[in-house]
Amino acid sequence: MLRTELHKLLPYRTAWVILLLFTGLLAATVAGAGGVNVNGQQLGQALYALPGLWTNLTYLASYFSLLPAFLLIMLITDEFQYRTFRQQVIDGASREQLVLDKLLVTALLVAWAVLSVLLVGAYFGLTRAAGASLPAVLAAAPRPLLLYAAQLLGYLSLAALLAVLIRKSTPAIVALLLYVWVAERLIRYFLPDTIDRFLPIKALDILTPSPFAQTLDTVLGPSGALLPGEAVPVALAWAALFWLLSAAVLRTRDL
Amino acid sequence: MSAILDIEHLTKRYARTTGVQDLSLSVPAGSVFGLLGPNGSGKTTTLGIALGVLHASSGAVRWFGAAPTAAARRRVGALLETPNFFPYLSARQNLQITADTKRASPATIDAALDTVELAGRQHEPVRGFSLGMKQRLALAAALLGQPEVLVLDEPTNGLDPQGIADVRRLIQRLASEGRTIILASHLLDEVQKVCTHAAVLHHGQLRAAGPVGHILAATDRVHLRLAPDADPQSLLRALAAVPFAHDVQPAPGGACSLTLAAGHTPADLNRALFAQGLALAHLSNEPRSLETQFLQLIQHS
Repeated sequence: MLRTELHKLLPYRTAWVILLLFTGLLAATVAGAGGVNVNGQQLGQALYALPGLWTNLTYLASYFSLLPAFLLIMLITDEFQYRTFRQQVIDGASREQLVLDKLLVTALLVAWAVLSVLLVGAYFGLTRAAGASLPAVLAAAPRPLLLYAAQLLGYLSLAALLAVLIRKSTPAIVALLLYVWVAERLIRYFLPDTIDRFLPIKALDILTPSPFAQTLDTVLGPSGALLPGEAVPVALAWAALFWLLSAAVLRTRDL
Repeated sequence: MSAILDIEHLTKRYARTTGVQDLSLSVPAGSVFGLLGPNGSGKTTTLGIALGVLHASSGAVRWFGAAPTAAARRRVGALLETPNFFPYLSARQNLQITADTKRASPATIDAALDTVELAGRQHEPVRGFSLGMKQRLALAAALLGQPEVLVLDEPTNGLDPQGIADVRRLIQRLASEGRTIILASHLLDEVQKVCTHAAVLHHGQLRAAGPVGHILAATDRVHLRLAPDADPQSLLRALAAVPFAHDVQPAPGGACSLTLAAGHTPADLNRALFAQGLALAHLSNEPRSLETQFLQLIQHS
């Protein structure tokens, strides 16, 4: 399975462009954000300081989660466009196998993103955080990185479902943006906090909390959102549901 | 002969049309089975269901005597409609993906490329290939893993005359190795040259099926004439009592022509008339081409 997907992925230039763009934009943003002045103080000191470095970094990285999501949408819709899903079934793959293959690709994309955050964080932690050693920098990394991985898995799972449903890249990307930026916010407007905190994007976003979340809570009062630890099972449940729905759609539709 | 593929009462309904309706047929092991029909007759729909990419509305398909599974499909090499490849990958990289899916040894890729004469261009991206080259690559993909059955849907599309002759020879060679080949085509000459069995589809329904010789014999025009002293009317009365004689057309001088139902020969007719006391002075049949037979079958539907 992995070998087949790597045969498709490794020679695909667009994939490399998007993945390198993700890593490059993250590194550039982290480097640039350090020079921003907030209330007369350079943000860098707060941004790179341990143990908040990783939370800050994953929060920034979450803004670029749409890039791997776009890539996954393209990888899946290409299979419909080139009719290669159809050919693989003819050649002896099961439809469930096709879904598992793309789940594996999703895991690879999550691994790339997490590795990018790890490398960027390790570099800036060592070079910009005062007196930090590599063990000290890395010791604070696992929890924020795992939360970020769960968030990205959730986003990519939603993207995969939309790609399988819509089968064309541009409409699927537009649908993803509409859901993330518009549709769920509208739904939240009509739902009480006790329910809307379980909606997918809200639950996923809480996994990489804003560096200013505590300040906002102090000023505005508790938001009613889930805590990051509580949001993990919700995010994983949504991811599982999205993949099960993708499998159901692929199983029931003609190719 | 045991059946490699059994299709039973297969129906496929789309939103506004019916692709295949109550289709039943059986493909014998070791045969070269032609699936004939004009465009839109249901050939590709039938094969699409058999190969697992379309869902049947009702009916059943059995490969190798059992319900179709992914493992069963790996014993089949298939080219369905247009060749499907990743355009940014080379011919060889595409075949590697096919080999992975079929769980075939990558070592078979070279032989497949040689067979279709694409070894020299194996490292070029498929996006630069002509339709004929893509068609040959699709044939190579179908051959990977030494499949027991080959399903070829219009395999000569886009090929030049030399390519068509090569594919025909390839089909005959593969058939001589004992492989079953299912060939969907609207090129009747092609089917008549290579197929041992055939089924004719029209508007999603089966019009005829069986050995090609039987299908042709079914509409061979039989010409007969009575002995000079016999009553011409007695011939027509006698033929009316022969259940397998159809489309009787009288001619002057105690002669007539007719067609026989599938499975019956002129000798059967001679016996039936002799049993009624009629002796024939002349009995001959006029063989028809598959094209003539095909046109008659679909015009009568």
